[in-house]
Amino acid sequence: MFVNITIPNWSDFAHFVPEAIMFGAFLLALMGDVIVRGRKPVVPFLITLLGALAALYYSFASPPVGDAGVLGSLVMIDSFAGFFRIVFSFVAVVTILFSWSSEEIMGSTREHKGEYYALIALMTGGMMVMAEARDLVMLFMSMELVALTSYVMAGYMRNSLRSTEASLKYVIFGAVSSGIMLFGMSLLFGMTGQMTFVGIRDALVANPVNDLSMLVVLIMIMAGFGYKIAMVPFHFWCPDVYEGAPTPVSAFFSVGPKAAGFALMIRFFFTVFQPIVDTIDWPLMIAILSAVTMTYGNIVAVKQTNVKRLLAYSSIAHVGYLLMGFLLLTPGGLQAILFYLLVYAVMNLGAFMFVSAINNSIKSEELSDYAGLGFRAPWASVMMFIFLVSLVGLPPAAGFIGKLYLFTEVLREGWYWLAIVGVLNSVISLFYYMQIARAMYFEKVPEDAPAVKIAPLHYVTMALLAVPTLILGLYWSEFKAIADQAIAGF
Amino acid sequence: MADHILSWMTFFPVIGAVVIAFIPKGNKEIVKTVAAAAAAVPLILAVRLFIDFDRNLDGFQFIEHFEWIKTFNIEYHMGVDGLSVPMVLLTAFLSFLCIIASWKIEKATKGYFALFLLLEAGMMGVFCALDFFLFYVFWEVMLLPMYFLIGIWGGPRKEYAAIKFFLYTLAGSVLMLLAMIALYLFTTDPATGQTGTFNMLHMFDQANHTGILTLDNVRFALWMGLFIGFAIKVPIFPFHTWLPDAHVEAPTAVSVILAGVLLKMGTYGILRISYPMLPDQAKAFMIPMAILGAINILYGAFCALAQTDMKKLVAYSSVSHMGYVLLGMSAMTEAGINGAVFQMFNHGTITAMMFLCVGVIYDRAHHREINGFGGLGLQMPLYTTVTSFALFAAIGLPGLSGFVSEAMVFMGAFPVHQTITIISAIGIIIGAAYVLWMLQRVFLGTRNEKYDDIQDINSREMFTLVPIGLVVLFLGIYPMPVLNLMKVSLNSLIAVINVAG
Amino acid sequence: MVIGLNHYLILAAALFLTGAAGVLARRNTLIMLMGVEIMLCSVNIVFAAYSRALGDMSGHVFVIMNFAIAAAEAAIGLAILVAIYRIKRSVNADELNSLKE
Repeated sequence: MFVNITIPNWSDFAHFVPEAIMFGAFLLALMGDVIVRGRKPVVPFLITLLGALAALYYSFASPPVGDAGVLGSLVMIDSFAGFFRIVFSFVAVVTILFSWSSEEIMGSTREHKGEYYALIALMTGGMMVMAEARDLVMLFMSMELVALTSYVMAGYMRNSLRSTEASLKYVIFGAVSSGIMLFGMSLLFGMTGQMTFVGIRDALVANPVNDLSMLVVLIMIMAGFGYKIAMVPFHFWCPDVYEGAPTPVSAFFSVGPKAAGFALMIRFFFTVFQPIVDTIDWPLMIAILSAVTMTYGNIVAVKQTNVKRLLAYSSIAHVGYLLMGFLLLTPGGLQAILFYLLVYAVMNLGAFMFVSAINNSIKSEELSDYAGLGFRAPWASVMMFIFLVSLVGLPPAAGFIGKLYLFTEVLREGWYWLAIVGVLNSVISLFYYMQIARAMYFEKVPEDAPAVKIAPLHYVTMALLAVPTLILGLYWSEFKAIADQAIAGF
Repeated sequence: MADHILSWMTFFPVIGAVVIAFIPKGNKEIVKTVAAAAAAVPLILAVRLFIDFDRNLDGFQFIEHFEWIKTFNIEYHMGVDGLSVPMVLLTAFLSFLCIIASWKIEKATKGYFALFLLLEAGMMGVFCALDFFLFYVFWEVMLLPMYFLIGIWGGPRKEYAAIKFFLYTLAGSVLMLLAMIALYLFTTDPATGQTGTFNMLHMFDQANHTGILTLDNVRFALWMGLFIGFAIKVPIFPFHTWLPDAHVEAPTAVSVILAGVLLKMGTYGILRISYPMLPDQAKAFMIPMAILGAINILYGAFCALAQTDMKKLVAYSSVSHMGYVLLGMSAMTEAGINGAVFQMFNHGTITAMMFLCVGVIYDRAHHREINGFGGLGLQMPLYTTVTSFALFAAIGLPGLSGFVSEAMVFMGAFPVHQTITIISAIGIIIGAAYVLWMLQRVFLGTRNEKYDDIQDINSREMFTLVPIGLVVLFLGIYPMPVLNLMKVSLNSLIAVINVAG
Repeated sequence: MVIGLNHYLILAAALFLTGAAGVLARRNTLIMLMGVEIMLCSVNIVFAAYSRALGDMSGHVFVIMNFAIAAAEAAIGLAILVAIYRIKRSVNADELNSLKE
């Protein structure tokens, strides 16, 4: 019964340095928040910032070598995990830095503002584990860790109805979809008697299960992942949560948990279903989900007047693009997904950060209040324009390269109609992204427009995102190589 | 600068744009001077290119070839042949004159000139790129400054015109993107023997095509993707509806660039990319293309006849004149294709003159209604002379350059598509009608006393118009300098197509 | 009658559907949260039943983990519910409409 289980020992924790740093930062920040009282939570901020920076440095400096299954094979520390460590710690650094000057976070009347930073650290650690899980138990635990943390963060402004309402919707949708997913997992366990992804795959190859029950299980598990990445038809929470949550939190949600969801999804489906991909009509299912998701996201985004909500729908559309790489579970497609996730993290975070920085000054996220921003806040607007161009997928921004790889893989696999749907969606998306540009540049500055003052820290963080958005669009070999390496380790 | 002449031409305006971005606010004169200087350098280099270009050599010259993204086989690959040199000359020439013509821009001067220079860089890049990826990047990069130039400095319906232009062209270019990826995936790189290269020279060689690229229906789909992408830019009926809107709303100099250079990119793309990469499909598409050309000629001319806005009239005349280019291209004879490319060049210069002339009167009267003037010939004699010159050139008056190219187009097309060519010739008559009718209503007839103290054309405006006029006149009398430039390259293109057909 | 694996699975399926129906049909968010808890319980039954049938302890491990997480989820859900009730004096899902198109 316990034959194959190795008892974990302390040496296993050598593989866990970035995660340990983030969890340690979480605990220290919580304690620091309680011990050192002040108007601003300097101590938790510094602890988590330094922690995230240390994790980022460590992830870059010593990437995982080979593939070590540690903690009794619950997790797998390989280059794939290493790639996501870099992404998540980078996202954490940017979000922490940005939140410090954000009125929504720091201006709220709430006590214990330091908890916010602690929660970011906890969630970052959780996301890293999500990218490493290779066992149903760990899959569930890490997903729930991230989900529970994010419920709290969405409701961070607890005196605001919008924030708490967003949080409640998040909890209910999240709990239901994780319930459905769990049910699917329990059936999968019943069919195969295995908990590890590899074990499940081997069992499925050895004793094929009938197609229908496989499909039911697949759809139930897909519900959980679909919720995490906001894929149609599991996207309902997404616009509400992004609109209601404090903007820095929405920014973090739109890239962090989404990328983590993709990481886990890639590892799970690639390991489990890759050998039987043809027997369950997987490519057709993904192609339809992808086409529906991007089309829905883009078409609904067209009529939005709230920029945050618009970006929420645009992020749904981007999930559709990302799913294109999932078609045949080929390494090329997955590499394209990983690279796009990297690009998407940078550009989408930037766009949300701009919304937050503007909200600090004018207390509005309505498109009509953005009139003439290009002349009221020129540098910030130029950076926003770079993010928008990248989100559309136009050269010379990084988004174009990301899409280029995705479309190349789709065409290589011969899914022509999906590629055509994809590019036409880019054209639709141009319209609503340019609505923002139009408001910023083509409309006159209103007479009574409030002055826009942008905090220096906000300039720094936005530049930290705008520069890579441009650089990745012109020279990306090294970064693509990291993404390629990550999949090659599978 | 002599070593990397094409790169300097492409990126010098970018340097200028960056410098302008850092000039402190309020120094408008400095901004304009820097912009003019940044546009003058490519012009000087273009003249140098024109002199140094070896007219008897088939193939590409002034090649620059570096590795860029090795894993995706993308290269920085620039070079020019007889097809691109006239376009490069046109771009450098018109960009410089447009900077001068924009001297009176007061609103956000810095932004205007910086964007204009970026636009020039994008256009240059398109005409010089020999790597499909690079070509696509320049092609798209050009859209962004254009969007802003129309949207910020345009007329009353600028927002609508700007987004319409952007959406139309992007819709076209995404189809081109898919065709490009398909060509990339299934073209063999002879150096390595592996598939996957963006090098256009490899794509030209049919022997390198593998996999689905050898299937007839796929080749047809690729041809259509590329053709629609380029057709939107030309614009070919029925994709032309963005053009009148964009022209009417755009400021004068932007209209000049739009008509003078951007429209040429469509036909340039067909000749540079579609023809040599898919010659069999090009041959099979001869008749539809000729018909589209005839529709463009007649439809554009009839629409122009109905306009009361001068700028809209000139815009529709562009649709009509691009039809000649299409007709000449579709013939695939020596006279036809040479005439088409020459017509591209001539239309660039002549339409630029017409738009500049319309801009002159708009600056003074603040409207462009044809019926709102009358007897301007007495009030603005010098202006009338220049405008009449431009309008007669547009009709194709013998002795001016438009005549030579149109005649070549018709001579080239007649043996191949007799009926279509005869029908198209009606376009010339309608062309004469709308031009002369406008001339009569604006410059002759009862004089409108409202404009008695209107100022005649000034020396800065003359400085932009006279050089173009001289080129038009000179090429009308002696077209050989430009024709010699392109003959060898275009003839080898015709040979490629005829072998495939 | 011998109670076998199938009986447990049917019970679990019935519970799961009951929970799902509770979430979908009721508008009181407190009841909706209870429905979610029932769904999680049904999963526990499946895992425990299969674990017993297959003679593999890892299913039991999962059940214990699931207890802990379900408790945490309920705690957070209720805390948010309390926060909402303080502001709005209502926990009816239909009245929570400050975020919409």
